[in-house]
Amino acid sequence: MPKLFFREALARAMAEEMEREPRVILLGQDIAAHGGSYAETRGLFERFGPSRVRNTPVAEAVTIGMAAGAAAAGLRPLVFITYLDFLLLGLDALVNYAAKLRFKSAGQLTAPMVVKATAGAKGQGPTHAQSIESWLMNVPGLTVLSPSTAGDAYGLLKTALRAPGPVVFIDHKKLFPRGGVVPDYEELIPVGSAAVRREGRHLTLVAHSYMSVLALQAAELLSAEGIEADVIDLRSLWPIDWDTLANSARRTGHVLSIEEGQVVCGVGAELAFGLRERIATVRIARLGARRVPVAASPVLEAFTIPDVPAIVRAAHRLITDTAAANPPSPSEHA
Amino acid sequence: MIPMELGDAIEVRLLQWSKAEGQAVGIGDALLEFETDKALVLVSAAQPGTLRRCFYGEGEWMKPGNVVAWLSDGPDEPLPAQADAPADAPADDLLVTFDIT
Repeated sequence: MPKLFFREALARAMAEEMEREPRVILLGQDIAAHGGSYAETRGLFERFGPSRVRNTPVAEAVTIGMAAGAAAAGLRPLVFITYLDFLLLGLDALVNYAAKLRFKSAGQLTAPMVVKATAGAKGQGPTHAQSIESWLMNVPGLTVLSPSTAGDAYGLLKTALRAPGPVVFIDHKKLFPRGGVVPDYEELIPVGSAAVRREGRHLTLVAHSYMSVLALQAAELLSAEGIEADVIDLRSLWPIDWDTLANSARRTGHVLSIEEGQVVCGVGAELAFGLRERIATVRIARLGARRVPVAASPVLEAFTIPDVPAIVRAAHRLITDTAAANPPSPSEHA
Repeated sequence: MIPMELGDAIEVRLLQWSKAEGQAVGIGDALLEFETDKALVLVSAAQPGTLRRCFYGEGEWMKPGNVVAWLSDGPDEPLPAQADAPADAPADDLLVTFDIT
């Protein structure tokens, strides 16, 4: 199977879906001749032309609103939001129009659109580095996908481009410099399907996006001490693959949720409650950013976001300390 | 050697060789081209010599710090036994330039 850059896996998914379905169009800043903010649309403008690969102004509210209308009218737009932070400008159209359209029209109208946005801290400071994907999990009608590998980016973006309703597809700046194996055949990954990246028996590490990469690294360090961790990559934040999570949690009895965003009303909060409803005895801890905005200083940024040593420390606390299920401060990962 | 400081690059891919093993190279001659997730990097000779060994093929993936090739001043200069031997060479041994587009 070929190894591709993360951006190439996205480009391949888009090209295949655009070839297959003429209603798929791309809308975003710098996606045409420039080839995308992360070079992920390179070659698509030349191949599919200006009517299907359109540059848009720096006006996210307009672009997402336009896409929602176009989707309701029969197209399948994919909108590029360079930084997830800027999705806030387009949330009204996405939440109030696109996500509710099927319900409001009793299924007569749908908005099959995809918003692809890039999250994560990588030196861009407080307004270009947030991981606020958990906010979107709250919206009925939205599907929220978040890959951590090139192969999953390919399979999930293809699924998103065929989905019946609006999908938010969230990648991460730190995933782009990485290569990954992508199947040389067509493969779609269903929504609501988590991936078990590693099998262990002492605890379960649950993460998504770039934190899955760090969780795997932490699992290797823990393994060297004789602590074997399951590592589950959520891939789909909504719907959540409860079966995979519960099967693992039942086996290990300990779950550590890791996310780059805030833990308050975060992904881990939802996982903890959902797992407790299913398995009363499971012990759960959550790890996330400190309760401050992402800093512009690289030193402070690193201090703000969970890293591999923080994951290892939290895992130790979880499996050794009976108080770990209720840590003193949800934002404390020192 | 692929530079250790190459922006955010974690892995790079060798695109093509412009010279073959055993060929003489002059100042400014292109040697190879590789790509990061965003940029193309053209590696050219900065002093005359001979391309002695190529350790990666076109399409192969490399990491910062990997030794890509050996250059020597003359065509018959004895070569080290190990592929990774020159990795500790001091920076002033650099014989090539990197042009990034």
